[in-house]
Amino acid sequence: MAEERPLTVEEASAAYESAMRNVLPPGPGVCEVCGTWIAEPWRRCYPCSTTPQQLDVVVPITYSEHLGQVHHALRYYKDGIASVRTYAATRLLAILWRFVLAHEPCVAEACGVPAFDVVTTVPSSTPERDEVRTLLRTIVEACDPLADRFERVLRPTGQVPSGRDYDERRYVATRDLTGLAVLLIDDTWTTGGHAQSAAFALKQAGASTVGLVVIGRHVRPSWQVTEDKTSGDLFNGLPRQFDWTTCRLD
Amino acid sequence: MFDSRTLVSTRETAAVLALMARRPAPANRLAGLIEEEGSALRLLEQLDSEVADRLFDVDQKTVTLDELEEHVHAWEREGIALVTILDEAYPANLRMVYDRPAALFYRGRLDAQDARSVAVVGTRSATPEGLDAARGVSRDLVGAGYVVVSGLAAGVDTAAHTAALEAGGRTVAVVGTGLRHYFPKSNQALQDQIGEHHAVLSQFWPGQEGRRWTFPQRNAVMSGFARATVVIEASHTSGARMQARLALEHGRPVFLMRSLLAHKWAQTHAQRPGAYVIDSGAEVVEHLERLYAEQLTLIA
Repeated sequence: MAEERPLTVEEASAAYESAMRNVLPPGPGVCEVCGTWIAEPWRRCYPCSTTPQQLDVVVPITYSEHLGQVHHALRYYKDGIASVRTYAATRLLAILWRFVLAHEPCVAEACGVPAFDVVTTVPSSTPERDEVRTLLRTIVEACDPLADRFERVLRPTGQVPSGRDYDERRYVATRDLTGLAVLLIDDTWTTGGHAQSAAFALKQAGASTVGLVVIGRHVRPSWQVTEDKTSGDLFNGLPRQFDWTTCRLD
Repeated sequence: MFDSRTLVSTRETAAVLALMARRPAPANRLAGLIEEEGSALRLLEQLDSEVADRLFDVDQKTVTLDELEEHVHAWEREGIALVTILDEAYPANLRMVYDRPAALFYRGRLDAQDARSVAVVGTRSATPEGLDAARGVSRDLVGAGYVVVSGLAAGVDTAAHTAALEAGGRTVAVVGTGLRHYFPKSNQALQDQIGEHHAVLSQFWPGQEGRRWTFPQRNAVMSGFARATVVIEASHTSGARMQARLALEHGRPVFLMRSLLAHKWAQTHAQRPGAYVIDSGAEVVEHLERLYAEQLTLIA
């Protein structure tokens, strides 16, 4: 009977598969840090070239087109009514689970370590929100390959105005992390300001390396990348079949 | 003036409609823009500094924003209600899909239990077996406490709605015309009955006639409104086939009756993640209880 069969990670992770697109590896026309499209001969997008690079590697799972289904799920798994939220959050959990199960070793290798010692999440922007907005933490706590190593080691200081900017006072680590390799998890990368700020705080506490796995690399389709191509054009030109066996570090 | 249910002003509702007429984005991307801005009126004012003087082509008339507010009340008097993306009553499942419409017109009433709904769709020229299958699936869904959603077309849709009503269940129609129209005409009594006791929804202006483009757009809304889509019988050119594709894009499960596997399109679809081949409504229910369980146990 189907009822007795539990939901598998593979099955749940497939829900948004037709909207998911593999993120390109570093190379001509692709930001070497975050995977967004850039004009040659640049190697990094504007935000990544102007933000201090605290993260040792950034691995988005999928591009997330602005107002597309992945973007929508990433925004609304935190809001919406309970049944709807549960559905989306479970699917995002499954996506993270399936991805790290296959690709955490690649991320660790890129950071020069055999494995990560601690897993943590990028906190919300204010201390109040960080107490209420618990869903990303709940997802990582439920993610079997990561759960044992999950620890909430970052807090927002509340001393920084909200916004996307990189700010070294944005977060603070709650314990000493000397010599530890940290895997940071977030749901969305837009400019990387928050994730880089979080990595700064982790390194201040002594972390030896910080790698980031983020579910969606946000794509603003109207962005004019080159004279004749927008991000939307380049997004639409990606292979439509999502491939779970590769990541942008392969 | 505020709507008693949700405290969204009629002016905001009118501004949503004005944006639908003004089309700063395709109809299926407008809702996202409005939600991001948090106010349709603000978005409208960003586009036109002199909003008060501007005219909008709404439902075959050219009107000002003030007149649009009057329209909302006139539609209400006609029995046509409106819900926009800014209202709490906007259908919960539909809110979760990226291409949801900014506003829905409806007759009848919306209900929180509509979140527990399943679309049953298929061809207008169904075989007797197909009609039987539609009725069976509909009954099984009602028996398990699901709302049956369909499109009020001839054939499979009519069978699905009718069986749900006969089983004492709730059924919701998502139609491909404006709410002043009936397509096909022969379903007028059924549409009125569903509109009186349950709900008939449309994303189109009430005066909009059915067109080649309206029906496929309607399929996107039906997929978004329901937790899942069941396809009973459908040829390559059927709107039901399109709905199967849209449902997968929405991250919603698609159930294909085994008999569909005679078609090449269904064979291809059946291979896709999120698609399930089924023999009965009971199987759909079993899958849904698993896929939508409140407490999920995922296994690797």
